[in-house]
Amino acid sequence: MTLLAVDIGGTFTDLVGFDPADNRFFHAKSLTTPDDFSGGIVDCIRQSGLDVGAVGLLIHGTTVAINTLIERTGAKTALLVTRGTRDVYIIGRGNRPEAYNLFFHRPRPLVSRRLTLEIDERMKAGGEVLTPLDSAEVEAHAETLAEEDIEAVAVCLLHSYANPAHEIEVGKILRRVLPGPFVSLSHEILRAYREYERISTTVVNAYIGPRVSGYLENLQTRLEGIGYRGDVAIMQSNGGTMSPETARHRPATMMESGPVGGIIASAEVGRMLGFPNVIAFDMGGTTAKASLIRDGEPTYAEGYHVGGYASGDPVILPVVDVVEVGAGGGSIAWIDEVGALKVGPQSAGADPGPICYRGGGDLPTITDANVVLGRIGADAFLGGRMLLDADAARRGVEDGLARKLGMKVPAIADAVVRIAINKMSLAVREVSVAKGYDPRDFAMVASGGAGPLHAVAIARELHIPTVIVPRFPAHFSALGMLVADERHDVTRTYLAALANVDAADVTRIHDEMVSDARGMLRATEDVEFLCSLDLRYVGQEFSIAVPVDRSMLEAGRFDEIRERFDELHERRYAHHAADEPVEMVNMRLAAVSRQPKLDLPVLAVGEEPGGATRRPVLLDDWEIPVECPIYRREVLPAGTAFEGPALVQEPASTTVLFNGDRCEVAETGEMIVSVRETR
Amino acid sequence: MNLALDPVTLEVARNAFPAIANEMAVDLQRTSYNMMIYEVRDFCTAIVDVDGRLVSQNVGGVSHFVSDLGVIVIDAVERYGRDGFAPGDVLITNHQAVAGQHLNNIVVHVPYFFEDKLAFFAMVRAHWIDVGGSSTGFGGGPKVVDPWLEGLQLNQLKLYDAGALNEPLYRMIEDNIRFPESSMGDLRSQIAACRLATRRLEELFRKYGPATVHDALERVFDETEAKCRAVVAGIEDGVYEAETFFDHDTQNRDERLRLHARVTVRGEEMTIDLSGCAGERKAAINARTYAAAYVAYKALTAPLEPVNEGSFRALKVVIPEGNIMMARFPAPMASWSLIIPSVVDTIVAALAPAMRDRVPAAHHGLLGGSVVFFGRHPETGRNFVVQSIEGGGWGGRPGEDGESATVSVCQGDVRNATIEGIELKCPVLVEQRALRTDSGGAGEFRGGLGIDMNVVNLVDGRWNFQGSLRKTAPPWGLWGGEEGGTHTYLLKEPADAGFREIDVQGHAVPPRAEAVVRTGGGGGWGDPLDRDPDKVAADVAEGYVSSEAAERDYGVVLDAETLAVDVAATAALRRARRRFGGWSMVSTGKAFSQSLVSWRKGGNRRIFRTARHSGIPSSNTKERLP
Repeated sequence: MTLLAVDIGGTFTDLVGFDPADNRFFHAKSLTTPDDFSGGIVDCIRQSGLDVGAVGLLIHGTTVAINTLIERTGAKTALLVTRGTRDVYIIGRGNRPEAYNLFFHRPRPLVSRRLTLEIDERMKAGGEVLTPLDSAEVEAHAETLAEEDIEAVAVCLLHSYANPAHEIEVGKILRRVLPGPFVSLSHEILRAYREYERISTTVVNAYIGPRVSGYLENLQTRLEGIGYRGDVAIMQSNGGTMSPETARHRPATMMESGPVGGIIASAEVGRMLGFPNVIAFDMGGTTAKASLIRDGEPTYAEGYHVGGYASGDPVILPVVDVVEVGAGGGSIAWIDEVGALKVGPQSAGADPGPICYRGGGDLPTITDANVVLGRIGADAFLGGRMLLDADAARRGVEDGLARKLGMKVPAIADAVVRIAINKMSLAVREVSVAKGYDPRDFAMVASGGAGPLHAVAIARELHIPTVIVPRFPAHFSALGMLVADERHDVTRTYLAALANVDAADVTRIHDEMVSDARGMLRATEDVEFLCSLDLRYVGQEFSIAVPVDRSMLEAGRFDEIRERFDELHERRYAHHAADEPVEMVNMRLAAVSRQPKLDLPVLAVGEEPGGATRRPVLLDDWEIPVECPIYRREVLPAGTAFEGPALVQEPASTTVLFNGDRCEVAETGEMIVSVRETR
Repeated sequence: MNLALDPVTLEVARNAFPAIANEMAVDLQRTSYNMMIYEVRDFCTAIVDVDGRLVSQNVGGVSHFVSDLGVIVIDAVERYGRDGFAPGDVLITNHQAVAGQHLNNIVVHVPYFFEDKLAFFAMVRAHWIDVGGSSTGFGGGPKVVDPWLEGLQLNQLKLYDAGALNEPLYRMIEDNIRFPESSMGDLRSQIAACRLATRRLEELFRKYGPATVHDALERVFDETEAKCRAVVAGIEDGVYEAETFFDHDTQNRDERLRLHARVTVRGEEMTIDLSGCAGERKAAINARTYAAAYVAYKALTAPLEPVNEGSFRALKVVIPEGNIMMARFPAPMASWSLIIPSVVDTIVAALAPAMRDRVPAAHHGLLGGSVVFFGRHPETGRNFVVQSIEGGGWGGRPGEDGESATVSVCQGDVRNATIEGIELKCPVLVEQRALRTDSGGAGEFRGGLGIDMNVVNLVDGRWNFQGSLRKTAPPWGLWGGEEGGTHTYLLKEPADAGFREIDVQGHAVPPRAEAVVRTGGGGGWGDPLDRDPDKVAADVAEGYVSSEAAERDYGVVLDAETLAVDVAATAALRRARRRFGGWSMVSTGKAFSQSLVSWRKGGNRRIFRTARHSGIPSSNTKERLP
């Protein structure tokens, strides 16, 4: 059964296929078709020459969810809430993260205040009914909304995480009176306390729902039209896949559907090569991203603000934890008003792009600096299909930067790259050192077009001993989708002193969560259920997720759970308080159905790297060009080894090795670089 | 080679020091035990050099802590001498003679040595939930008459001496505060954050060497200063003044409290002179701080840049001893920050004529909007405190409406408590958290709205209420905009027929009393008659503005059914209004126009009152500088 993964980016739609029968990969790339994304997918499939009928599963990562939200092109949405809470969504948390900015902006609501309607009903914190639901009022609201041509409705009632009965009833009435619109009930999306965050997450889900549903239906129709008979799976922000039916119901889980693939692929490559602890590092055109993988598992955040913390929309659904900085190949180098050299966060993007791309860009970028240093070969880019304008890059660096600072062109180019490396190192630090992990215990997997170009220098900065450059680093996200597990996360608030937690209670909730997750799962067998408890010392606000299993809950082994919490607190914050009482806030459950791992094709073995040419490149010292061997990635045999200085070129990327770095090529083609000065 | 001149090392230093302070802040917030730290973010983390110069400070917390830890280091070095510190020392202090804030703000600082040489101090100031004294909470409130009633005096004491814990001191602190489990937890978090910083500093010094680090820092300071100077150079030279009033100082209700700012701009330099503010009070609303001037200057010069010593080098602040902002020990300071947001607003307003496109109308101006109800839970037998900080309206600003329901200019990433979070922990019901229609000042760009938060207590307990202090001078409008609604507290006890205004700390109530925490709105910017009628119609449709107010304040007539703008009627009404009112500078005979802020630029003093259609001076004269 052939597997296909399709990743839709801003410019290109990437396809990676794998045929386990003859251990073969397929690639195809076509221009993204923004009017109807499925067009690019169908093009790719046609281009790859695959027998569509033989494909068993197509896994798809897409930016349709996040774009609908950020571009504000979602549905006309209404919101139903408990009496007295109409403005909670607008008021939010009242904060101003930009403390000195008099021109700050609060998040922009997706629902107008006029279409936010209150319902007479009230639950208490424990879930007891204080005021019964006024069904007649709900019906009247539904009729009002029908006249307004509403396309989606979000329902979020106070304390529905504890008792969803009223929300369920409201949902029934809405579907009866108002059959057309997309309806999201908050407890089905996020069953945790904190009403503002739950409202925002539910509203986002409803707002993007109709468009995402339309997209998925259209995709399935188009696929059927070309004879596709297999399954479709959609990537979620948590790095797992889900069925299109679940995706239509919970589209807010798709925010990071595209980018997470690279992190899953990094974990998989690490696992295969015997590095369970990996820092995934991806550098594309506009940003660089870092994420930490421990014992083969990504780390998660409980959610994030889409569009930035200061004025973005909170979507509190598990997401692979990523730190992103504004440093990509297209990031612009500039001189600020007091003469300091800066890199990013403004980017020349794909259009006009770096100067050397000949697309009309006239501001020097990180890519231009690398061309000036000779690290990107002007005639080797995209396998020579796109000849870069090295002279223009040099002139851009000279006119834009060197002359103003009174420095030599190569010195400035070197400084630009170093500053970018420092910025990216801070991102890598943030996911590792700042969370209590020592980078020396990790290998870095470098992906994205610009990742391999800078990874070794970043690794040296942070004492990371090993850098792994996977095959096809520029198509890495799609590769990750091929190996992603099916995964569903559910959360339940359960606030109680850990000492008073009732074992039978939490076991029952555990089983309910298992059953909720099963409702979303496509797989029925071999499902793992990973449970954790969010714990904190009484008085703290932030909690730590402590892994547990059902037997520990059933047997009430809370002392043992507490000890684990103390240990995790010590690791993360370098102190703990064994005598302080601990409380439980949420239970979390992930249902995971493992995808069979791929047997990656093995390369031919050879002693010599072969095919090396030479050219002068500026590496450690910008004044002294090094006559550097340039290897071609496509012909590197397995088992070969070589030392830096060296460049390894492949169509969409270049790996830079400095003097003393040593590279070995693995059986399956990955380059494993031992970084100098790290031991 | 002098690496300090290398742009890469400079950029590294520029990024690395703020990153350390921010990492300290994240850890503190995530491990602290009280909502003043994890929600209100009432803390700061910083690295300060031996001369008291600010190397870096965290971003996002309470704004009025900006760059105010230097005095603590200068004082410590004076007392102990440069040779009086050892690796492993941990100092603790809150003394008002130097710190100038309420005693709840506990500073912990740790010296950092590189190869036996004292280089920096890592510091954390954090608001403890209690420091003993006469009452729990904010140092006992404005009633407290002296610092000893407010709480424990910790005066630059070594809690650890070269790594050895001073156990009697630790126990003395633990035994003299009401919530030791919370505060000693916070103390552990503060120490851990400082130690984290020393580890990060060590990595940096090892890699670059002390000379390079110090050289790079000097350059970073210089560049920051130059950026601020460039902004000030763009402001027309002159002397700008503004003043406003609080109704009273919370205790002596017979006298208004004057806030006044005189801002002199000459070339690249700015002087902020607060000599015209009231003198120190018997009420505990005094402070000893440059915070108001610093926050205003920062907001006008480089609001999004990290803070360091260079941020304020081109600013001169004048506050005479004995001023309410430069109070002398033992003037009480329990509610030290109460008036600071309004002082900031007054400074910013003074510059409105010079920076028309950079200065918003007044915001609600109060640190408060605080919800505080406490008691003992009858079921658990444990003490509980309901605490939240509610936001109010911000002023309309050139080009856009003010934001609604947002914390003051002195508070950054301060979050209200969620209704569900409150009800999970405390026996109360939050009946509503709602925007107040018409509370935003009318203007071409409307002021943001304040809110009403209604809370019913299910058990008996005590409420802290702080009555309105801005009735006679509500948040002002600019350029013809109108003032915003004022804040207050209302209470309805079970026997009462309706709500009444209330202004009492620790007011005991029986079960099922209902309190309303009402926050103010922001002032409007520009003449409301110039507001796009379609925007007014949209505001009415959304319920931000009532139909009556649309007609009364904006001269916009709407169809009662469809809420569409009646173009002809609106044009006629606006014409008539303009003839009647127009741009008179001082409106008289309007009951609602008490006063707001008066401006002075140059020698001629002109007092403006916000009133419908009042405006800006048409004949402002500029003082010639000697």
